[in-house]
Amino acid sequence: MSDRSRFPRAQAAIVGIGCTEFSKDSGVGVFTLAAKAVKAAVADAGLQVEDVDGLCTFGTNDSIPPNVLAQALGIQSLSFYVDQFYGGSVSLSMLGQATLALSAGVADCVVCYRALNGRSGVRMSGSSVGDGQRLPWDMQFKVSAKYIAPSQEIAMAARAHMLKYGTTNEDFGRIAILSRTHALDNERAMMRTPMTMDDYLASRWIVEPFRKFDCCLETDGAVAVVLVRADRAKDSPHRPALVQGAAWGGGITVVNNGHRDLTESPARPIADRLYAAAGLGPSDIQFAELYDCFTYNVLSQIEGYGFAEPGTVGDKLADGAFDRATGTLPLNTHGGLLSEGYLHGLNHVYEAVQQIRGEAEHRQVERYEVALVTGQLGYVSDYSSAAVLVGA
Amino acid sequence: MTTIPVPDRDTAPYWAALAQGRFELQRCRDCRSWTWPARPICSGCHGDNLAWEEPSGTGEVYSWVVTHQAYGPDLARLVPYTVALVRLDEQDDILIPGRFVSDAEIHQGLRVRAVPEPVTDEVGILNWEST
Repeated sequence: MSDRSRFPRAQAAIVGIGCTEFSKDSGVGVFTLAAKAVKAAVADAGLQVEDVDGLCTFGTNDSIPPNVLAQALGIQSLSFYVDQFYGGSVSLSMLGQATLALSAGVADCVVCYRALNGRSGVRMSGSSVGDGQRLPWDMQFKVSAKYIAPSQEIAMAARAHMLKYGTTNEDFGRIAILSRTHALDNERAMMRTPMTMDDYLASRWIVEPFRKFDCCLETDGAVAVVLVRADRAKDSPHRPALVQGAAWGGGITVVNNGHRDLTESPARPIADRLYAAAGLGPSDIQFAELYDCFTYNVLSQIEGYGFAEPGTVGDKLADGAFDRATGTLPLNTHGGLLSEGYLHGLNHVYEAVQQIRGEAEHRQVERYEVALVTGQLGYVSDYSSAAVLVGA
Repeated sequence: MTTIPVPDRDTAPYWAALAQGRFELQRCRDCRSWTWPARPICSGCHGDNLAWEEPSGTGEVYSWVVTHQAYGPDLARLVPYTVALVRLDEQDDILIPGRFVSDAEIHQGLRVRAVPEPVTDEVGILNWEST
C-alpha cells in the first residue's frame, strides 16, 4: 500500500453547520430542505452564498443534485461538485473529497449536504423504491432471494456474529438503549422517550435477529456543512473542526468473492487507511459518531476501528464504556440514526462539530478534541467512508 | 419494487438456466475458479474465458434471517419467510442467498441443495431446500 500518511492532514476545516427540523413529514420537497440547510450552514460560517464554489451531495432514492441547487443559489460556475450514489456508505466520502479539492486549490468554499424525505417520500425500507430509481447492479441477485432491504443483509451478518461469538439480542438492545438515552435531551432528536431492555425485547421482529428498535428511523430533513481551507478558517466565527484524515472504500457484501466470513468487520481495512491518513490511532479517539443504520453496525465498527477485540463488545457495553457522561469512549452522543434521525449520516458530522466547538450544551462530552465519524461500514454496497475531525 | 430479477445481457444466461430448471454458474476454463454472481470476468484470474457449468448445487447454511416486514407489495403474502445464505461446496468464498423453502428447522451447517423455480420463460429464481 502506498503511504496514506500523505493525506492533506488538517488542511481543510468545517466552519459552518446547518440543518432543518428532522420529522416524519417535512411537508416540502427535498429542494426546499437542501436550500434551507445550505443557507443555514453558510450563515453559521459567517459567509455569503456568493462565497460557495463547491457543492457535494450523495444519495439513493430522493436527493437534489449540485447543479440544480447551484442554479437556484445563483452560482454561475461551480469549481467542484460531487453527486455520489450509494447512500450512507459514502456520507463521509464527500468530506474527504472536499478536503482534497480544497487542499489542491480546486475550490475555495465547499458545501456538503444531504436532503431527503426519507419517511414521507421515498422510504429506505425498499417498499417504495419505484420505477425510475437507480438500482445497484447486484440488486438482481438479491431480489431473486427476496433479499431486498439493507436490514436483511445486515441482520444476516449479525446472525453470523451471534453464531461465532455468542453475541446476544441483549447486546444489540444495549446499543439501542444507549442511543435512545443520548437522544433524550437532544432537541433535534425524533425519539425522546426512554427505552428499557423490556421495551426493546418487546418490540416486534422486522428481520430476525433484528427487532424494530434495532433499525434506524426514517426521516425527512437535511443537513449541510461548509468547508474551507484551514488558513482561511482562522477568521470563522466558530472553532473550526479540522479534517485530520479521511478514507473510503472497502467492505464485505455477498457478491464480492474472496471474503469468507461476514463477521470480520468491514470497517477493518478502512480503519487502517484512516488512521494512517490521520497519523493517529484508536487510543487517540476521544469520542465517536458511528453510522448506526442498525444496532449491529455499531458493534462491528467498535471492533473494526480497534476499540475492542472481536466478541468482547457486549461486555464493554454492559460496563458503560460508551456512555456519553461516564464512558471511556462516548458513542453517538446525539442518539444517532437510531434515535436522533436518519439523515444518512451527515447528522453525525453535525453533532461531532458541535461537540468539537464545545457547543453541545448538556450533551457536551468531557474530552472533545478528536472525533471519529463514520459512514455505513461496508455491508450492502461494498463501500464505506470515515473521517477523523480535530479541534483547531 | 418487483422481486422478479431484471437480467442484463451479461447475466441473462444465469436467469435463463434457472427458468429451464438448471442451476448453472460461470467457470473459468483457465484457472477453473467458479464465479457468482454472473460477471464478465473471472474473479480468480481476471480472464474472460468463462463457460457455463452445473456445480453440484449443494452447500451448507452459513447464516439466515427471518423476514417479517413485507418489503414490497408482492411479499405481503409470503412473510414471514426465511432467507438462507449458503456456502457452496465447490468454493468457500461463494455465498449465495436464496429463500429457504423446506419445513426443516434451519441451523448453521445444515446441508442444502439448490432448487430452481421458473418464473417466466426467461427468468427463474434460486431457492434452497434441506437435503
